[in-house]
Amino acid sequence: MLSNMLLGRYIPGDSVIHRLDPRAKIVSVLLMMVIIFFANHWVGYGLLVLFVLGIIRVAQINLFFLFNGLKILLFILIFTFLLHIFFTRGGTTLFEWGFIQIDSEGLITGIYITVRLVMLLVITTILTLTTSPIELTDAIEKLGAPLKKIKIPMHELAMMISISLRFIPTLMDETEKIIKAQSARGSTFMTGRLKSRINALIPIFIPLFISAFKRAEEMAVAMEVRGYTGEAGRTSYRELNWHLRDTAALIVIIAFGVLLFLVRM
Amino acid sequence: MIARLYAGYALFFTYKMVVEHMIKIDNLTYRYQADGPTALDEISLSFNKGDWVSVIGHNGSGKSTLVKILMGILEGYTGNITVDGEALTQDNIQDFRERFAIVFQNPDNQFVGATVEDDVAFGLENQGLPREVMIERTEKALSAVNMLAYRRHAPARLSGGQKQRVAIAGALAMEPDVLILDEATSMLDPEGRNDILAILDEIHKTRTTTLIYITHDLSEIEKSDYAVIMKDGRVINEGSIEHIFSDTDILIESRLVLPYQMQISRAFLDGRYVTHDELVARL
Repeated sequence: MLSNMLLGRYIPGDSVIHRLDPRAKIVSVLLMMVIIFFANHWVGYGLLVLFVLGIIRVAQINLFFLFNGLKILLFILIFTFLLHIFFTRGGTTLFEWGFIQIDSEGLITGIYITVRLVMLLVITTILTLTTSPIELTDAIEKLGAPLKKIKIPMHELAMMISISLRFIPTLMDETEKIIKAQSARGSTFMTGRLKSRINALIPIFIPLFISAFKRAEEMAVAMEVRGYTGEAGRTSYRELNWHLRDTAALIVIIAFGVLLFLVRM
Repeated sequence: MIARLYAGYALFFTYKMVVEHMIKIDNLTYRYQADGPTALDEISLSFNKGDWVSVIGHNGSGKSTLVKILMGILEGYTGNITVDGEALTQDNIQDFRERFAIVFQNPDNQFVGATVEDDVAFGLENQGLPREVMIERTEKALSAVNMLAYRRHAPARLSGGQKQRVAIAGALAMEPDVLILDEATSMLDPEGRNDILAILDEIHKTRTTTLIYITHDLSEIEKSDYAVIMKDGRVINEGSIEHIFSDTDILIESRLVLPYQMQISRAFLDGRYVTHDELVARL
């Protein structure tokens, strides 16, 4: 079930979108999140869908693959849609049965809101699909630099995120190993009632936590002996380069925003 | 008179050049708990520059404690440590850390970067070096351990031996005077271990970096210039490899396993030190 989930996954590629500066991509996504709300009737929504489809095309992401990966969120989308259909009033009444009443306004708003949600999801998924976690971390640190003035430790946060990401596969392996070790001792995790299954997780989590703390301790020592003393006096090996194409990408997004604003009614 | 003075100076400098004690440890004693047993008991050692020194001992012999003190991880010891004549204190530990590099046992728990090259550059970033220098040194260090082709790989895609090679590259990139390996091969398969030993042999040939090799495996010390045998926090024997193997009783007493060629020598020959090739020749 989790294998085809796309939320937060990165798929390496060589499209223009992949090669954009991660800062440009994050700013673009933030802009798009605002721009999406400019659309207020079918022309605007049509343009929006076309534009997002265009981005997907440029990013060389398989459309079927993308929507298949987002299927897990279908429930939320359907729920939102139904909520609007049944509770938004106005326009002509299309259907009436007992206390259930569907108005044309409700149907239209339902469709608009669902399209809006799908676009938000697709836009953010494109970001994570085309940007490696480490690039995202770098960009967050760089973009968040002004926050250091109000004592928010952006460097430390970025370092924490990057080390956590690096340890995910290690801890996954470890979990698997512990599950196998406990199974060999006769534990069952997949059968029985919910309560007994939850109880069965305890012998997995305790060894996992102990080893994670041990790892953290060793890691801290390794970092210390390699001269890590925090951000002061530190230089960066990885570098983000702002190219013309990044500026161009932002201009395209802003231009689209202006266009969408102009077609508002 | 003046001639004698010059001769004296000349002799002094020759002495300094020949026996340049890089690290000198005097009466080092350490306890983990104030009233607990001594983890290190009046250790006195001196290591020469460029040598490959092996420190051998069974679990709990104090060899890792010694390393932790040298790296400034443990405080509260008594005794003196001098490096190139300069005493190690809590105030200058940060400067010493730039001259000492260490590779630990577990390859997973010392990999800081998201990719191979990021990890090698981590120590350099901490020193605040300019980016061009970092790129140059990272490439050089990765070629020295034959890992340049893997520079963009994530640690999850590397074997244990490859991760340890990256750790060595990370240490070499710092261009340290002393490279310490704390049981760096004990979690590796024989192939990974031989790779590491071959890389160390190459480093040793340059004689610019002092190698301190901590192990419990006597078969790994063949290439070293000097060996120290530790037991219960004390040094029980030290000297050249020939000297160490001239008294195999002490080694067995310290619960160390003799290499196969020494077991044969002990059982069937005169018990003197032989290498694999010599053994073959003699048989």
